[in-house]
Amino acid sequence: MEKAPAAPHPEYDLLRPIENPGKSFYYIVAVLLVIILYTGYVYVRQVYYGLGVTGMAQPVTWGFYIINFVFFIGISHAGTLISAILRLSKAEWRRPITRMAEVITAIVLAIGGLHPIIDLGRPDRISHLFYNGRLQSPLLWDITSITAYFTASTVYLYIPMIPDIAILRDRGVKPRWLYEFLSWGWQGTEQQHKVLDRAMNILMVVVIPIAISVHTIISYIFAMTVQPGWHSTIFGPYFVVGAIFSGIAAILVLMIVFRKVFRLERYLKPIHFNYLSVLLLIMSLLWFYFTFSEYLTGYYGHEPNEMRVFWYKFSGAFAPYFWTMVTCNFLLPLILLSNRKTRTIPGILVASISVIIGMWLERLIIVVPSLANPRLPYPTGIYIPSATEWTLFIGGVSVFILGYMMFARFFPVISVWEIQEGRQESVKAVTERIASYMPDAPPPMAKG
Amino acid sequence: MNSKLIDRLQILSISLIWLLFTGIAVWILNLIKESLRLHDSPDASLGISLVAIPVFFTLSSVLTYVFVGLRKGRRKDVEP
Repeated sequence: MEKAPAAPHPEYDLLRPIENPGKSFYYIVAVLLVIILYTGYVYVRQVYYGLGVTGMAQPVTWGFYIINFVFFIGISHAGTLISAILRLSKAEWRRPITRMAEVITAIVLAIGGLHPIIDLGRPDRISHLFYNGRLQSPLLWDITSITAYFTASTVYLYIPMIPDIAILRDRGVKPRWLYEFLSWGWQGTEQQHKVLDRAMNILMVVVIPIAISVHTIISYIFAMTVQPGWHSTIFGPYFVVGAIFSGIAAILVLMIVFRKVFRLERYLKPIHFNYLSVLLLIMSLLWFYFTFSEYLTGYYGHEPNEMRVFWYKFSGAFAPYFWTMVTCNFLLPLILLSNRKTRTIPGILVASISVIIGMWLERLIIVVPSLANPRLPYPTGIYIPSATEWTLFIGGVSVFILGYMMFARFFPVISVWEIQEGRQESVKAVTERIASYMPDAPPPMAKG
Repeated sequence: MNSKLIDRLQILSISLIWLLFTGIAVWILNLIKESLRLHDSPDASLGISLVAIPVFFTLSSVLTYVFVGLRKGRRKDVEP
């Protein structure tokens, strides 16, 4: 007997993309799969012919792959870190945002984490790490911290998804076995809610230091060398700030896209964009402060090797990229986001895309100029990325889009149960919280 | 799909997570052993492992806690 269709859910807008994905979903997936298959072919070709098919050569031995590695891992800070901070601070406006952000982390980490392997001419030699690795090498710290962050982020994404998976299971959405398997017998009892809350509280605390450690450790790959332009004590926090900055921009772009495509105007309101864009503006100012400090100390020291890299960026071959980076990361966001008239959704979209481009350029500017200007008496290196590198970059972006689309096809991109919980409990909880920290009323004045 | 089979698959998935994290811990311990054998900064290796190993075990413990807690918290009269 055919099962009767499930009754309309109060948050049906969030479940519609799963229950009725539409034809366009399959067309986009098909296009992305073609791009990814072609990327796979290009990668196999690179493995066959070696890294000679890339633009990397002596002395510039790190190029697009390492740039994209740092960039993608940076974007990953969008999710878990920001979500954990918003949850910990009990920011009620977080409810429609957190899951979108957490998904970015899980997908982007998987893509970014693969880039150092793509950078290897002999990827089979990655196995050497397992039996001959040196634990005091920052590269191995990276593997450990990225694995820990990926695992923590996936767990942090999955656990608050359990009640939503149970909703899909109970509505008989296919594949039912998947939802039954993933819902872990959730029935929404008081005891189960307690367990979930406790686990989330532990994860929130665990995940923040892991997230910060990941990008700090990535900065150590550069800062632990004595290379001009890399050997800096502020590289750790500089990288973390940059990562959070690009992460917020990525969340904003995705929120705007999903709001439009899935018609989520009821959930993603202008206030959400306003709050996040103010955060983006603050991060832009912080980024500028770190960039200024970084280059000022280098310039003040006036060490000849350092100055070669400095002028290479400021007025040499990389000047167009450098000044575009400053415009994209600082000037444009400052102009657009500090003015209430331009802090609209289109303005925020332009500022966010500009920050994503600017942060990619920042990674380019960190990686290449230091290698192109070796301290030994060699000529300045030239790096022009090849079609192979561009293809793998586009392939990486396509994997991200496909991954996100597949997630949105099977799971709600906005947490249904957290929205429902917010509707029922938020006002009371916030009122109690405000009452708890408001100063007590003054005692009545004594007469006479 | 048979609910008993799903039950077993869930238990298997949790066991695999423990296997994965134990594998990572064994790998890290093996690298420490190598650094001790080669006198190659064993103190640094020990320091890093002191941070890394507990993180992985905390994560698997949280997952197991949720898995067991959700099972114990089920209503007795309703099939999952």
